[in-house]
Parts: sequence; C-alpha cells; structure tokens
Amino acid sequence: MGFLRLIIFGFIGLSIIYVLVSLYSRSVRLEKLEEQWAEEHPNGNESDREAWLREGMEDYQKSFRPKLILLVYVVPALLVLLSIILIN
Amino acid sequence: MRRFRIIIRSLIALILFGVLHYTLPQHDVVRVVNTYQERQDLDDWTRIFWSKPDDQSAGLINRDVQFVQTVKKKTYLLGFIRTDAEEVMVYRNEDTGWSWPFYFKFDTASLQTEVDDLRSTAEEPKWAVITHYGWRNELISVFPNAVGIRPVAGPDVTIIPWFNIAFFLFLAVAVGFARALWVQFRQRSIDPALEDASEAWDAVDARADEAKGRVSRWLGTWRKKK
Repeated sequence: MGFLRLIIFGFIGLSIIYVLVSLYSRSVRLEKLEEQWAEEHPNGNESDREAWLREGMEDYQKSFRPKLILLVYVVPALLVLLSIILIN
Repeated sequence: MRRFRIIIRSLIALILFGVLHYTLPQHDVVRVVNTYQERQDLDDWTRIFWSKPDDQSAGLINRDVQFVQTVKKKTYLLGFIRTDAEEVMVYRNEDTGWSWPFYFKFDTASLQTEVDDLRSTAEEPKWAVITHYGWRNELISVFPNAVGIRPVAGPDVTIIPWFNIAFFLFLAVAVGFARALWVQFRQRSIDPALEDASEAWDAVDARADEAKGRVSRWLGTWRKKK
C-alpha cells in the first residue's frame, strides 16, 4: 500500500511538473519563432505570420525535443531505484 | 506592513531550515557501545518522530524499536566544526519503507547486525561513521534514525557529504528554473492581459487625482496665511 501511495502521488506530482515544463518549452519556442519572423520579415503580413508560426510549432511538436520532457518521469524513478540499491 | 512581511519570511525560512535539517542525512563519527530493543508507546503527538515502516504499523499504538547506543565525537555548526570532545548519542534503527522521509530503508535487521559487529570498548575503540537523519531530544524522547554505518580507521576521517552537495545543487537549479518559468508566464500571459486593464485604471486614477487636488485646495483656504 505504501508503495502504491508513493507511485500514485509521485505520478500526480510529476505530471504537474511535466505539464508546466512542456508549457514553458512551447512558450519559449513560440517566442523564438516570433522573433525570427520579426527579423526576417520586418513588414510581413499578419496571416502569413500566423501560418508560418503554426507550421513552426507543428514541426516542434513532431521533433525529438518535447519527448525529452518525459525524462521528468524517468529520472526520479531511476533515482529511487539508485537509492534503494545504495541504502540497502 | 514591512515588519509583518519580515516576520512571515523569517518564519518560512525557519520552517524550511528545520525540515531540511531534520530530513537531510548527516554523518557522525561514533564508537558503538551497545544495542537494545525496547517497546515504545506511539499514541501521542510524538508519533510524528517515529517511522511508519509498513502499513500495519500505522494503526499500532505500541511496537518494538531497535536502538543503537554510541559515544560520538562532538561537532558544532551542522557538523562543520569538529572537536575531540565526546558525548553519548542514541539512535533508533527503523525502516522508513516507502514513506517520508524518502530513504527507502528496508534493511533494519541487517544494519543492526552490522552495528553489533562494530561494538567496542573505550580501551580498544573501533571507530565508525554513522549516517542518520532526525533529531535527538531527551525531553520528549526523540531519536535520530540511523540509515547506514561503515567502519573507519580513526576518528579524524574526512567526510564529504556528497548527497547534500548534489541536493543543494539540484535545489538551486530547480529554483532557477521555476523562476524562469514564472518570468516567461508573466511576460507572455499576464502582462498582455494587464496592459488593457491598466489603461482603464489610469483613467480612473487621473480622475481621482484631480478630485484630491480640489479637496486639498479647499482645505488650504482654512490654513493660516503666512
């Protein structure tokens, strides 16, 4: 039961962190894309910009980087395993 | 208001320090004198200082606990200043199981055996480094929990607290990251929303200033002319 409780609450806590980190990562990427657009097309039109940004974000979603955020789950699990091995 | 804020902040800092000081591992140079087992009553508020090694232990009102009696080298300032003086220290030896604090200690019986193996006398001391967390309080019978022991050649052994170094590095990174996250959120989400609101507010504020000017001018007419 103790083990189950740890897993459930750990999962909830890590999920909150996971959501926060992925929101942050997406926001940073969008900001970078906006800056890049502003630099390359100082007076581009709004609908082109929107489309370009959407495409950029879709590429980001498909790329490997957002999958790296899954490490939020993997690393703590490994640390728990490591400390079980080291302590006992 | 400022004093209030200072009080609240120091209170939070104090609690944080207390939790970390209770939970993080510390190392003592000790000589094991004896071990014993004693039935402990667990039905008052000091229950929080005893472990819950498994689920049935949560409902028990008393249970046997193993203890380790030692003579240890006295230290000051979180163990940074070490002296040659000695004092006695008694540790409890309990599983932490899967619950807080997260040491995942399950080897109480084995640890007790290791400790027994290191028993020595004052004439022929065998020194050891014991890793523990928790506090000792004689008034309310609180004991630190031993989580590991290793024999050392002499009492002047160098101890490097690797775990604590890593922990505080991680904490610094986590705080920095949380800050970056908050700044990003404010810049991208809150500030644009506030901008609209603040324009409306400025208009209200300007009108209020104007009204205040009129009132104070009227008050001025009652003051003595110089």
